[in-house]
Amino acid sequence: MRKALMTLVALTIMAMPATALAQSSDGTVTVVHGVPDLTVDVYVNDNLTLEDFEYGTVTDPLTLPAADYDIDLRAANADPASDPVLTQMVTLPVGANATIEANLDGDGAPKISVWVNDVSTIDTGNGRVTVRHSAAAPNVDILANDGALFSDVPNGAEGVTDVPAGDYNVKVTAAGDASTVVTEVPALTIPEGTNVIVYAIGDLDGGSFQLAVQSISGLHTPPAGVPSGTGGDLGTGVPVWLFASLAAAGMAILAGGVKVSRRRG
Amino acid sequence: MKRGLWLLASGFLIIAISLGWWQLTRPLKEAGDPISVEQALTTTTALPIPDPVATTQPEASPPPAPPSPTIPRFTIGEQAQGHDRVPVALQIPVIGVEAPIVSAGVDRNGEMEVPRNVSDVAWYKHGSAPGEPGSAVLAAHVDLAGQGPGVFYDLRTLEPGDAIYVTFDDGTSDAFRAEARTIYDKTELPVDAIFSRQGSPVLTLITCGGEFNRSLRTYDSNVVVYAVPFGDTPINQPGGSA
Repeated sequence: MRKALMTLVALTIMAMPATALAQSSDGTVTVVHGVPDLTVDVYVNDNLTLEDFEYGTVTDPLTLPAADYDIDLRAANADPASDPVLTQMVTLPVGANATIEANLDGDGAPKISVWVNDVSTIDTGNGRVTVRHSAAAPNVDILANDGALFSDVPNGAEGVTDVPAGDYNVKVTAAGDASTVVTEVPALTIPEGTNVIVYAIGDLDGGSFQLAVQSISGLHTPPAGVPSGTGGDLGTGVPVWLFASLAAAGMAILAGGVKVSRRRG
Repeated sequence: MKRGLWLLASGFLIIAISLGWWQLTRPLKEAGDPISVEQALTTTTALPIPDPVATTQPEASPPPAPPSPTIPRFTIGEQAQGHDRVPVALQIPVIGVEAPIVSAGVDRNGEMEVPRNVSDVAWYKHGSAPGEPGSAVLAAHVDLAGQGPGVFYDLRTLEPGDAIYVTFDDGTSDAFRAEARTIYDKTELPVDAIFSRQGSPVLTLITCGGEFNRSLRTYDSNVVVYAVPFGDTPINQPGGSA
């Protein structure tokens, strides 16, 4: 096993908007496994927090106090005292929503990436789609319903945009070459008020390339109101149309009566 | 003969004019006093009834737990998406409501879509479904210009304890019990609470009410009825003795 570099990554988050998901002193962490052929145990500050974590899996979000954490990945069932396969120090700021991902860099070397998830409020009726290229693969284009969503995305980069909630046909293609479809999701559901985060993981040449999906819900904005009456009938007990038609009937008969009386007179 | 016609016509005119005068001069009436929040909360089921005047988010967060010395474990669960059941029909026997439910989103103004058909009920499809955690919103017109009174015309007369039945696309049916009715000025409608997707299940019925603005052709208020599940006991026939 290759011994990984020890690096320090600080999440620099500028004034993350407050969300319902984060407590005042906490942050939220999700872990994504994107290194093929490697089942791991995950240690946080030397505590075993996740066993037999398999390639392509996404954990539930975990709320943790904002702090610095040592993340160590060891092969499943390896001695806790052994050198980790991957190790990383991660700073979790207050209110942050982060994803820690074990993935391949552009050259196929495993690494730990830290992503900051956009949990800002989404406009009513919309959802959010985030695409993260974390696979050993060339730059890609992302198409939604055959329209360009993100172009020329390299390994380590992401695209984020809000779209009307609904189902989308999503294609990942070679950058600039729409005919070379790397993978296709026939109907990716983007629910309203949810950030759907799609990870491209694995090794394209090695045949392990695939997608993993994380969803963060609860970012919705409620409708501004409920317009549910234009008639003005309420509170009278007698609808407007009733006395209108009665009056019309009265007028008609009256007019008829005048006519008749004139003819006869 | 001629005299009879004249009498008939005059009679119609007098009735019509009196009705019109009555309508113009009579103060708009709301049926009954709104049920107070306190009253609603004394029922056995605790309800997230929003304060009618509060505009703040009523979903108070619990106090943060003290930091635990050990790190909690990560879990891997199903990433739930979509609704298990979609509501397709609504019955409120006491006010004679028996209506189809259509799924609705938001309109161009960012408001909830309410069907153009005055006899349809709209379910806010982006929110909770009836019986799911959070507030499931069903809205319908009190009336619609050109179509007359709507399916929720008598919603303002619903009383606590009245039964409400929702049928779903899988053929199942759930019973709800009205708990509280209130009227909000539209500028103070507590949309965060009404469209909340968290908390214990509440069925929220909404229509228009209050004063009608004849030039804007809108009402200034919303009538809102909050209901809770009757329980897990299946009800065979809405309105029946089952």
